[in-house]
Amino acid sequence: MIRRPALAARLDSPRVLGYLLIVPAAIILLGLLAYPLLLGIWLSLTSATIGNPGQFIGLQNYATIFADPIFRGAAWYSVFYTICAEAGKLVLGLALALLLNQRFRGYRVSRALMLLPWVAPTVLSALAWLWLLDPQFSAISWLLLRLHLIHSNIDFLGHPWSARMSLIVVNIWRGLPYFAIGYLAGLQSIPKDLYEAAAIDGADGWQAFRRITWPLLMPITTILVAFSSIFTLTDFQLIWTITHGGPTDATQVFTTLAYQRAISGGQLGEGAAIAVSPIVIMIVLAFFVVRSVREK
Amino acid sequence: MRHIDRRDFLVSSAAGIGAAALAGSVPVTAFAAESPFKPEKGASLQLLRWTAFVKSDATIWDENTKKFTDATGVPVTIQNLTWNDVTPKAALAAQVGSGPDIVMGWNDDPFVYPDKLIEMTDLVEYMGKAHGGYYDNARSYCYDQDVKRWVSFPIGCTGNAVNYRKSWAKEAGFSEFPKDLDGMLKLARGLKKNGHPTGFALGHAVGDANSWTHWILWGFGGKQANPDNSIAINSGETSNALDYARQLYETMIDGVAGWDDSSNNKAFAAGLIGMTMNGISIWYAEKTADPALFPDFANATPPYGPVKTHTISNNFTSAYVFKYSKYPNAAKEYLRFMLDSPQADRWVTEMLGYVTPALRGYSDLPIWTSNPNITPYRDALAGAKYDGFNGKPGKAAAQALDEFVLVDMFADVCVNKLANKDAMRKAEAKLTAIYKRA
Amino acid sequence: MNRKLRIYVPLALYGVFLMLPFLWMLLTAFKSDQELSQGLNPFWIAHPTISQFTNLLTQTAYAQWFANTLFISIAATVLSVFVSYITAYAIIRLRFPGSQVVSTAIFLAYIVPPAILFIPLATVIIQLHWFDKLWALVPIYATFLVPFCTWLLIGFLKNIPRELEEAARVDGASNLAILWRIIFPIAIPGLISAAIFSFTLSWNEYLYALVFMSSSVNKTVSVGMTSELIRGDTFQWGQLMAGALIGVLPAVLVYFFFVEYYVAGLAGSVKE
Repeated sequence: MIRRPALAARLDSPRVLGYLLIVPAAIILLGLLAYPLLLGIWLSLTSATIGNPGQFIGLQNYATIFADPIFRGAAWYSVFYTICAEAGKLVLGLALALLLNQRFRGYRVSRALMLLPWVAPTVLSALAWLWLLDPQFSAISWLLLRLHLIHSNIDFLGHPWSARMSLIVVNIWRGLPYFAIGYLAGLQSIPKDLYEAAAIDGADGWQAFRRITWPLLMPITTILVAFSSIFTLTDFQLIWTITHGGPTDATQVFTTLAYQRAISGGQLGEGAAIAVSPIVIMIVLAFFVVRSVREK
Repeated sequence: MRHIDRRDFLVSSAAGIGAAALAGSVPVTAFAAESPFKPEKGASLQLLRWTAFVKSDATIWDENTKKFTDATGVPVTIQNLTWNDVTPKAALAAQVGSGPDIVMGWNDDPFVYPDKLIEMTDLVEYMGKAHGGYYDNARSYCYDQDVKRWVSFPIGCTGNAVNYRKSWAKEAGFSEFPKDLDGMLKLARGLKKNGHPTGFALGHAVGDANSWTHWILWGFGGKQANPDNSIAINSGETSNALDYARQLYETMIDGVAGWDDSSNNKAFAAGLIGMTMNGISIWYAEKTADPALFPDFANATPPYGPVKTHTISNNFTSAYVFKYSKYPNAAKEYLRFMLDSPQADRWVTEMLGYVTPALRGYSDLPIWTSNPNITPYRDALAGAKYDGFNGKPGKAAAQALDEFVLVDMFADVCVNKLANKDAMRKAEAKLTAIYKRA
Repeated sequence: MNRKLRIYVPLALYGVFLMLPFLWMLLTAFKSDQELSQGLNPFWIAHPTISQFTNLLTQTAYAQWFANTLFISIAATVLSVFVSYITAYAIIRLRFPGSQVVSTAIFLAYIVPPAILFIPLATVIIQLHWFDKLWALVPIYATFLVPFCTWLLIGFLKNIPRELEEAARVDGASNLAILWRIIFPIAIPGLISAAIFSFTLSWNEYLYALVFMSSSVNKTVSVGMTSELIRGDTFQWGQLMAGALIGVLPAVLVYFFFVEYYVAGLAGSVKE
């Protein structure tokens, strides 16, 4: 063994080096995330308005918002939006991954192109969708009309339920590639000989999927869904650009309502409370992520 | 339409100043010597304004700004943000105590953080004396009744008028635009019958949805609050307004409940609707988009309802200066310069009156009468009410506007088919909560 | 033949669903303003023109915004991948006491929505005098990039056999040397994965770039386009879509060349 200077050896020990290495991440996350988060939670416990720190009022803001039917509606739709969108992304993403996992002419181009929705800046693709869902100018309506599948333009965004479902479709459109690529990775890590063994045993495609593919994809499914749900539950730009929370507050979610109350109305304390309230849900989701990362 | 060239402008500006003199205001010609606002030494300014809706607005504003810098040596950097993004940016500046010196903001913005803003009384009074006073809404949006001072300098509004197609109106039996709401409903029905439905936004369109719903509500005598800020929305007058809106909705094209601010522009330009409400940009755009068809596009003053006075709703813009600014005098002098003659004359004229100035003197500019379709915009402020009418302008009114309380009430009745009393009760509950918090 | 049907028909359906908005963007970007306002056939360009592109590049500061966005995305990516790598290494290879706690804490970083965090965060940014400094976006973006990249790299590094390190230690290498000379080269697929993810998210970010930058020269593509091409109620659709298309190009190029790495990186990190 080559001798090294004592100090360097100390610094190199797993313990000391470990702490040193996490310092950059710690600085960034503590300073620019944890601290503002604590400030945000503090704000939610005060009667702060823009420019006025207000006073400590305990949980009063939370009491106010839980009694507010608009908040309850936003909470409900946030959860509904997330569940539907995640389900859609999971199923369609997995199906696409299964498709792209095969070798066919143009599979490389397909893989790259399929990523476009996720890769395009949300605020701009949301604007494109605004036009695609337009009650007068929608290219989708135009196409379906020409194909004689409908007889008048579709009013995508003019009614509460159609607006709600349209947003879910746009979210699925945007997030599908993320799931597809994740599943593609997951599929590639499944050993081929498992399928060969199953084929020898006479299992067909669907049985192979149920017994081999799906169970082995559970870990990545957990990760994909957990991370994606967090982003979806706190989605802002897509909804704000396309419906602005309307019609009649039908598409309000936590973040749009919080933003509206805090910025437009100047009610910082209340807006912060609305923003903090989904955290409980997200802690549960984060818990699942952590569990799957922990070594056995 | 006559092309406004340099010669016309010189003639018209002279006429404008002459007219202003007749109206009793003092024409301000030279500036530095007379203005009481002296920029601080070494001053520089940052202005946050909304991206101009019409190109000429930005061009002339920038040119005037350069003239100011040349004359005073005070550099001005202008940050342009799309109009809906100005409010959050300004709110942030108020919150953190740092940012632009001057903000050209909207409606009740200054009342959300009045104690962060410098007092503007001297500038307001100086300009008022020079240009024939202000329209009422200037005080509503710039004089804070709680802290009892002018917290913002009134600039004007992006006026609203009814836009329609002349030939289609004639086809429906109207060679002139109706003067009252009953007439307008008849016209709307006629237009719809001939395949040219109307279109007024009922979605969360910040400008277009608020404009017509407020106008109709007030036209029937409805109001959001009383002077003591008690909620007054639940009333017979409001119910009448809702009935009218329901009937007007039946003449509209599909999908208005999902419209944003650009939707009616698109639909009108494509000839899909025959009547809507908007700022002059919708008409101005037709000049280049379709010069042949342009003369068929017309604008009219929004008709009045049973209250027999005009009750127009506009987006009001004013300029406020933060206390953290190191150069408040420079800021005031900049605003004085930009809204004084001849700078503002040129600005208003070249942008075809897109912004209706709050100073009455500018209503005498010849641009307003150069084309009958521009005249309705001149009177946008004369017949206007402020959001939150008849209560106190301020935080509560700002929040109610931003939460689309009135728009949603109308949408509940028209789109969700709620009964008037249910929609009113919902709005009343929302307003009560908002006004209590503020 | 059957196989072809089973692949190409669903592929076409997905293709239509995923590509339709981009097709529309492409068609819109090549139409003149006049044609756009007439609302005709959306799938046909009557008079193709590149005026939208030329206007975008000459009348707006698009080139500057593009350069800004490229700079920030690359810098944020480099910073985040670097920080995530050493953090992941510390957590999963060095396994110091408390590493599980740190690991958990990092994931909790995701539960904060930027739509509200930006207000208290702004106070911090002002105190640091980072306001309107373009490079400040780099550490700010790291706040939402580091957690995912750390997770990704933890998963990836987990699967590297310990024998490699032990052999190196026998040869007298320090932990630090192992980190760079031994493990780093093996971790490259994972690092590329993390880099691609970071680049994409940085490129698309809107709210922080809007709020924390104020001068025109510091705008990013998303912020610049929406602030200057949305003039009140008049959207310059042609230019917006032209800018969107150009804006998508870098990410598409990156993905086209590196998608295999991205997939391999993820695959490596989820192997059990």
